Amino acid sequence: MSQRVLINPVTRIEGHAKISIFLDDDGKVSDAEFHVTEFRGFEKFCEGRPLAEMPGITPRICGICPVSHLLVSAKAGDAILAVNIPSAAEKLRRLMNLAQIIQSHALSFFHLSAPDFLLGWDTAPAQRNIFGLAAANPDVARAGIRLRQFGQEVIEILGGKKIHPAWCVPGGVRSPLTPEGRDAIRAWLPEACSTTHLALKIFKRMLQGRELETEVFGNFPSLFMGLVSPDGAWEHYGGKLRFKDSNGKIVADQLEPQKYFEYINEAVQNSSYLKSPYFKSLGIHGGMYRVGPLARLNVCDHIGVPQADVELKHFKSMRHGAVTSSFLYHYARLIEILAGVEFIERYMGDEELLSHDLRADADINNLRGIGVGEAPRGTLFHDYTVDRNGILKRVNLIIATGQNNLAMNQTVAQIARHYVKGPKIPEPMLNRIEHGIRCFDPCLSCSTHAIGQMPLHVQLIAPGGEVVGETTRG
Amino acid sequence: MTARHQCLVIGYGNPLRHDDGAGVKVAQTIEALNLPGVKVITRHQLVPELAVPISESKAVIFVDADPTAIAGPELRPIEASASAFGQIMAHAANPNSLLALARELFGRHPEAWSLAIPVEDFSFGVGLSERSNEGLSAAVRLFREFVAGSRHS
Repeated sequence: MSQRVLINPVTRIEGHAKISIFLDDDGKVSDAEFHVTEFRGFEKFCEGRPLAEMPGITPRICGICPVSHLLVSAKAGDAILAVNIPSAAEKLRRLMNLAQIIQSHALSFFHLSAPDFLLGWDTAPAQRNIFGLAAANPDVARAGIRLRQFGQEVIEILGGKKIHPAWCVPGGVRSPLTPEGRDAIRAWLPEACSTTHLALKIFKRMLQGRELETEVFGNFPSLFMGLVSPDGAWEHYGGKLRFKDSNGKIVADQLEPQKYFEYINEAVQNSSYLKSPYFKSLGIHGGMYRVGPLARLNVCDHIGVPQADVELKHFKSMRHGAVTSSFLYHYARLIEILAGVEFIERYMGDEELLSHDLRADADINNLRGIGVGEAPRGTLFHDYTVDRNGILKRVNLIIATGQNNLAMNQTVAQIARHYVKGPKIPEPMLNRIEHGIRCFDPCLSCSTHAIGQMPLHVQLIAPGGEVVGETTRG
Repeated sequence: MTARHQCLVIGYGNPLRHDDGAGVKVAQTIEALNLPGVKVITRHQLVPELAVPISESKAVIFVDADPTAIAGPELRPIEASASAFGQIMAHAANPNSLLALARELFGRHPEAWSLAIPVEDFSFGVGLSERSNEGLSAAVRLFREFVAGSRHS
């Protein structure tokens, strides 16, 4: 008898979701779906607002990566004004995005994920959290908190506040880095670098005993997408898009991000508010792609800063072709933190960041503008259409978590196939499926514009809809 | 005055949801008073890294909009509680869990109070309702009395 296992909700990710696992007549897992069950509708209620408000409105989508929405919204505004922003403004925006990547990745690694793999998946949920980590390894927990604080401090130094800064505007930014701000950032750098190396050491040591997790936590062929510079270097703010397959072959390169609709389709599932983008020319089954740290490191040829490039070389040596295990998102996050710290250090020697030539002014010159950048979780698109007065007529937002939706489904199915051996729901499977999703660090507040957090609920459902088993947690 | 002798005021909430921003507004008003030894932080939401400045303070006051403050602003003592970890497991935290986190990570947490501000309107939009505005003035008075009392104790 075929059945469906429902996990509802999922914990320690941002937003509301549930998971269905479909069993075939033999009780084996046939498929899985990650459903997002909340809706906020930013695209719709932004219609009718003035363009100038968008960098103020869209960061409210998320309390974790507001900077990503701020920057990409401003870039869409730049396109509508048809301006090239001053060089200093671009560098300052890049600096803030690096800080955003550091703070978000630090949160994901130290607060949300490390308790699982450092304390063990089968540790009781009451202990498997930041408090458990603090009790078991206070130095690591403390360092992680402070690393996130470093990223937040850089954002506050630039934008005046840590969350929802209104500093970035179409045409540039409002204020430069001050000498006092630069001194404060410089003072943080040695500790931030040291903490990142500590985390890398811990993670690599831990990996030696996690061959099974590396093999079954979302390890499958897919495409990978991310921004790269013209010479193939790691990008997070500018550049063009590159798709690579799991053999490491470049499928498409230097694609104009502003023409995303020519090569990305957004599929809609009836069971979820999360859309499922895919690479258009290969269809929804062959065109599944992953975004975010794992993808960015897979698609780039080099990063451009020495310590992170050493780690990138090691990362790329882990598998011939692309690194396909989603468990290694964690490793990729740490490498990107290291890159962020190194790039920030480099910026601290650049006097142009103190410049007051920061903003280009213009009226509405284009009726459509598309901003693209790399948010911590992956490539972010803001596509605005305005009228002659700059009033929004249409908004389309493509968010990283949505782009990972198909891969998250496959990750859940792969983990479930390994652990489900019949109609019962084994406890170890729940912990591992949660972590499989957590590898992607999904932000459902962004991707569907939902808010909240998730406890856990599992149901076994027979083909006729009858619930034949059920479990709830949290 | 060292950091460990500061009174830390953390005002939090969403100023785009009318009275939900009351905690932020009260904290900003306190900040404008430039009281010696008082440090003010405003946030959209409580986040785990606030455990660092909390651990460095002698006293901390969390200022938030609170529908249960019926009669007016109230200063209530609060305790650390790791059992509130559910919040901190996601991307936000609550005062009790932050105190517990400060204790776990840095070996101490200060005495802590919540300053609850009366509210009536959580709908979309900026600005406080009349009830919250009245609460704001009373809350600032209450805070000043608290600081003065602390200095004499």
